[in-house]
Amino acid sequence: MIRLFGDRIDQRRRREAERAGGVLADCLATPLPDRATPAGQLPILAVDFETTGLDPAQDKLLSIGFVAVNGTEIDLGTAASFVINAHAEVGQSATVHGLTDDQLAAGCPLEEAVAATVTALSGRIMLAHFADVEENFLDAACRSLFGAGLPLASIDTMMLQQKIREDNNERGSIRLWGARERWGLPVYKAHEALTDALACAELYLAQLTELGEDTPLKKLLGWSH
Amino acid sequence: MDVELTEVRDFLASHEPFSALPREALRTLVTRLTVRYYRRGSVLCALGEQAQHLFILRSGAVDLHDNRGILIERCEEGQSLAITSLIDRAPATYSFTAHEDCLVLLLPAEVFHELCDSQPVFQQYYLRRRNKVKAGVESMHATHQGGAILRTRLREIISGDMVATESDTSVSEAVRIMAEATSSGLLLVDDGELVGIFTDHDLRVHVVASGHSLSLPVRIFMTDSPASVDVDAMAFEALLEMVSRNIDHMPVTERGRPVGLITSRDLMRLEHTNPIYLAGDIAKQKDLNSLIDVARRRGRVVQQLVAQDASADDIGRIVTAIGDQVTRRLIQLAESELGSPPVPYCWVALGSQGRFEQGPSSDQDNALVLDDAYDESEHGEYFLRFSEFVVAGLARCGYALCPGDVMASNHKWRQPLAVWRQQFRSWIFAPSSEALLGAQIFFDLRPVHGAEHLGRALQEQIATDAPGNARFLTHLASHAVARQPPLGFFRKFVVAKEGDHEKTFDIKTTGIGPIVELARVLSLARGLRQVNTMERLRAAHDAGLLNDEAAEDLADSLEFISYVRLHHQAAQLAAGQEPDNHLLPEQLNPFDRRHLRDAFQVIRKQQSALAYLHKTHLLS
Repeated sequence: MIRLFGDRIDQRRRREAERAGGVLADCLATPLPDRATPAGQLPILAVDFETTGLDPAQDKLLSIGFVAVNGTEIDLGTAASFVINAHAEVGQSATVHGLTDDQLAAGCPLEEAVAATVTALSGRIMLAHFADVEENFLDAACRSLFGAGLPLASIDTMMLQQKIREDNNERGSIRLWGARERWGLPVYKAHEALTDALACAELYLAQLTELGEDTPLKKLLGWSH
Repeated sequence: MDVELTEVRDFLASHEPFSALPREALRTLVTRLTVRYYRRGSVLCALGEQAQHLFILRSGAVDLHDNRGILIERCEEGQSLAITSLIDRAPATYSFTAHEDCLVLLLPAEVFHELCDSQPVFQQYYLRRRNKVKAGVESMHATHQGGAILRTRLREIISGDMVATESDTSVSEAVRIMAEATSSGLLLVDDGELVGIFTDHDLRVHVVASGHSLSLPVRIFMTDSPASVDVDAMAFEALLEMVSRNIDHMPVTERGRPVGLITSRDLMRLEHTNPIYLAGDIAKQKDLNSLIDVARRRGRVVQQLVAQDASADDIGRIVTAIGDQVTRRLIQLAESELGSPPVPYCWVALGSQGRFEQGPSSDQDNALVLDDAYDESEHGEYFLRFSEFVVAGLARCGYALCPGDVMASNHKWRQPLAVWRQQFRSWIFAPSSEALLGAQIFFDLRPVHGAEHLGRALQEQIATDAPGNARFLTHLASHAVARQPPLGFFRKFVVAKEGDHEKTFDIKTTGIGPIVELARVLSLARGLRQVNTMERLRAAHDAGLLNDEAAEDLADSLEFISYVRLHHQAAQLAAGQEPDNHLLPEQLNPFDRRHLRDAFQVIRKQQSALAYLHKTHLLS
């Protein structure tokens, strides 16, 4: 999927809104923050998906975790996480996300998890580490569930880390857990959707101390490209 | 939907005091938190700022500095910060700066207070931490001790009324104003502007020694446009200024307008409230009048100790040390006036002084134990005049006369050792409830001056006789449990109804008294020789009379109640009032009230245990 900027994403959101139903229509009708908004004041939702693979056409969405970031503060009261009854066998992907078939069978319907995510994303910029996965899976899920896509403006902590690494002429990992080490962030048990969303949000706050709280959204999106 | 943030929950669960919270409380708590990241060098909470959150350090390190920039503590992962500011609902007395990049969990102030209310373990933990931090500050200050002159601003020491007049006032009128204000200097202010200063020195050298008329205007002899110092300057800055200019007086100004006068003596006097200087000064005084002046400085000592947050136990010991010193000096003055004593004697302190628990409002309780060679007809006159001299001297030094007349000036309490021995035997072996009510403080006796063995002999006798005597102990126990602390304090304040103290409650009789009495009974029951209440509690614990929890609870309660009382009294002293024990419930902050309630509950519980142990209900 091609990332869109500026007016083009707003145009696309308006176009999708005409076809969209349910919570997606509401989400698309809610304007996103102005692109001049400084990072310190941005409403953001940090999101992480666990999937069986990287292709939304073939692979399944297994779990979702998210938590809101208001400017420079993570609000833990907004944290949510869902395990989805995906009607799929996890197979080898279990070695990454650790979810078992039994856990999935006890999970909620895909629609419930996606609807909650879409609602939480209303008026918020999405934040993820390697955001392509979340953008693509969410868009695909919305098309099948609500009849329209969800064009997103998202900030990608992996890309931000890459920029910081280049600016400072550093080496070191841009992967989530490696990047966190660079900022002295605590070690978590990796790959549980909500933990990863929180980990990503914390990494973003750390990165902001380097990038500056007054960095406008426009720049953050540009670096995330 | 499962919203459990396991990483955050597990982190909290592995650190005090969150580890003690029930699982459900912890789960809810997590949802009330926010997370922030602080870059190295950035400030979490500044000095003087009211903390809005409890800061729980998730990773990194944070430095605490006090108001003089001294590093108090380096906090690590798992520690909670800004406790004192939250508990006291007061501006932070430290600054909190990220030493490394930090990830911090923020718990809003209102949630913190909710948890303190609903989870006693939570509150107790933070109260202990707060005191520990304060103790840390104390020890840091002890090593950085530069004296009050380095910490005090001029605003705190200039007196309320400015001694000033206009510059065309006559010298004689100016001198009259200075005499009336007992000031060695006078500010000359025309239309609100400081135009000059006139001092004792100017009077001596420029007016009198030069033979000028006192009717001339003071303007002729004043120092024009004197150097002045701002009211917010530190005391030592003013002193440096004076030393470098070789002057003893400086006008103090606020935004350019004169507000007072400071002298080098005022500044040097700051150091005099240091208890060590004070004790030394007391010993140096050559007559009663100068001793009275010095002894009355102890009010300032108490204020300073409270401001430095010394423990109530320590303050009691320091104030008692001053009381002992004053007593000894008075006795020496009495001997130099009346001659050497005809027979040996021991001056003993009773009650709070005996227990090392004197406070700024304590009255005097004392007695005289005379050698058995004492002969009333021959030596009576000497010891009457001697004890009256000391008792009256103590009263003039601010130790009020004992309302129950338990003082050496009372013939009944000025007896040879043999008579005292008989007196204690009758109290212990033929006890009556009434006699013991007034006699309890005699069991806190401590030799202060003279032939100590006379006092020690009585202490030994008490320790030997008291333990086996169930009736005596039962009577004492029944007094100790008679006055119960007001537990209804929170719903409806139980307060004194009479006189000036309407709507107040007496923290001494309802809070401190019961613990003192409990400790005394326990101590006498085992023949323990300690007289200080804290020591008695510790000894009773070591002797197996109190379990760990009871001993710790009682000691904490005594410290806390005494702390509240001292803060009240220090505030009264600062306002120029006589310190007393009458607290207005509404002057307590919610935290103090809560903790006071807990302390009262501890007392009630231990009173019940004591009543059961000594079967006070069987007393007819």
